[in-house]
Amino acid sequence: MLKLSRPWAATGQIVLFITGLSIALPLLLVLGTSFKPANEIYAGYPWPLNPTFDNYAEVFDKLPFGAYLFNSAATTTLRVSGQLIIALLAAYAFARYTFRGRGLIFALVLGAMMIPHQLTFLPVYLLVNKLGWFDSWAALIVPNLAMPLAVFLLRQHLLSFPRELYDAASMDGAGELRTLWSIVLPNIKPVMAALTIVLFVDCWNEYFWPLVVTETENAMTAQIGVRRFLDAERGDDLGPLMAAVTLISLPAVAVFVLFQRQIINTFVSVGIKG
Amino acid sequence: MTEAINTASVAIARPTRRRRRLDIRPAVFLTPFIVLLGVFTYWPLIDTVYLSFMKLNTNAPASFVGLNNFRGVLDNSQFHDAAINSLTYVFVSIPLKVLLPIPLAVFIWTIGERAANIYKSLLFLPTLLSFVVVSIVWIWLLNPVMGLFQSLIRPFGLQMPALLSDVGTAIYVIIGVGAWKLIGFNVLLYLAGLSSIGRDYIEAMRLDGAGDWTVLRRLIIPLLSPTIFFVLISTVVFTIQQVFTPIDVMTEGGPLNATTNLFYVVYQYMFQSFNVGFSAAGTVILFVFLGALTVFKVLVLEKRVHYS
Repeated sequence: MLKLSRPWAATGQIVLFITGLSIALPLLLVLGTSFKPANEIYAGYPWPLNPTFDNYAEVFDKLPFGAYLFNSAATTTLRVSGQLIIALLAAYAFARYTFRGRGLIFALVLGAMMIPHQLTFLPVYLLVNKLGWFDSWAALIVPNLAMPLAVFLLRQHLLSFPRELYDAASMDGAGELRTLWSIVLPNIKPVMAALTIVLFVDCWNEYFWPLVVTETENAMTAQIGVRRFLDAERGDDLGPLMAAVTLISLPAVAVFVLFQRQIINTFVSVGIKG
Repeated sequence: MTEAINTASVAIARPTRRRRRLDIRPAVFLTPFIVLLGVFTYWPLIDTVYLSFMKLNTNAPASFVGLNNFRGVLDNSQFHDAAINSLTYVFVSIPLKVLLPIPLAVFIWTIGERAANIYKSLLFLPTLLSFVVVSIVWIWLLNPVMGLFQSLIRPFGLQMPALLSDVGTAIYVIIGVGAWKLIGFNVLLYLAGLSSIGRDYIEAMRLDGAGDWTVLRRLIIPLLSPTIFFVLISTVVFTIQQVFTPIDVMTEGGPLNATTNLFYVVYQYMFQSFNVGFSAAGTVILFVFLGALTVFKVLVLEKRVHYS
């Protein structure tokens, strides 16, 4: 570690403080405003004098916000579970077996990591419509079930896994699924947990895809719901808008507060940016 | 073809090897993933190229139109604006999102551990928030009538300009909002890079009488250069892809196409003008651009990895 000379150290303290403030302040203001009663919203001071939950209640009154949250929660849970199971099976095949074409198939997985959804959305959108999935959970879940990044990460961890354990398991007569469930899974719990969080945040915060494939409260996610609310009110209903914004940020922030260090490390090592 | 190979190998291989060839277990485990990848990633990639040469009609079957879609897109002034804006997004983003985080990371690296941890958590927070949330927050802060900044400067008799509806400033607001979301994450990437720099080197330089600036320039920046390169490329990719959300939430590409980018016009061709061919042709152009970037990244990063 480097020790800076005094003037530089002081500059650093000031710069960091300002940076920190420029991040914290807007967020605190949003939080504060979401608890302000209507008559305080446009008042000059940032914090609510008579905090109230009215704005939160109003969000659920004015919008089918419960339905949006339910869609988000359910599709995120289903999608992330599916992504994890499918990726774990694939990673296990790559790490455990030698087979013809393994190198080529793995190259396809690596290649897919570099193909953003933006380049593939058009045919997928047309296909989803043809299948009659428009505005349904299936449209949100199925096209995103294959997560190359997850396969890549899990494979790396499984490769460093001692082969003796697999052999011991099969000698004891354990089938493949049994081995996966009772030998492999308990040993990669930390990676699975970290991966779950990354996938969860990625899915919960998704914007483009739910924007184009959902239309009504049948499938519309909370992110899109809030966006529609912004359109409808164009900022006239600031209190409820800020309450909605706080609500949809809550899950990710809550998970973060619980597992701060690990989450930062995971995101940095994966290199994902929200 | 596989069948031919299998019959050939049956003739040569001993029975044990043959059994291994026929092991279907890896195939079973891989099938769900490979099928999904094929249907939702690789086939669409190819189909997009196919669609870029077609004209889709509602009543008649699709017809081949050659390069017409590409010509149409390249002649389209909206597309020109988008291409120029994409370059603005990328180049203005670099000093803000790639270079500015370096000193911030060095400062955090040099303060005490407790303060460093607080700053790390704080800087990470915007990564977790969705771009929708971040965009809405900034729309409110910058609102010229009832925004927060307006209420702060009103007592001084100042008036907040309407930055988001001004052709000259709107794009910089979106770049700034993207920077607000991304800077902290890049700082953390740099900190990960810094943590691998040995104390001994620095102390050796100190003994030779090197000041902060020399240590920074001669030691830290060179050793950090692979990280800088990684941050640069991933930030460029991020800027091209993820900026869709703030564009759509804050300006919808306006005013007068001032904030639209290549991906946003592709979206508009599809969902506003319902022109599948144009949208596909635009995507192919975007693909070539992103593909070149990816190849560049792989080539240079591979080299760096071998050096270190």
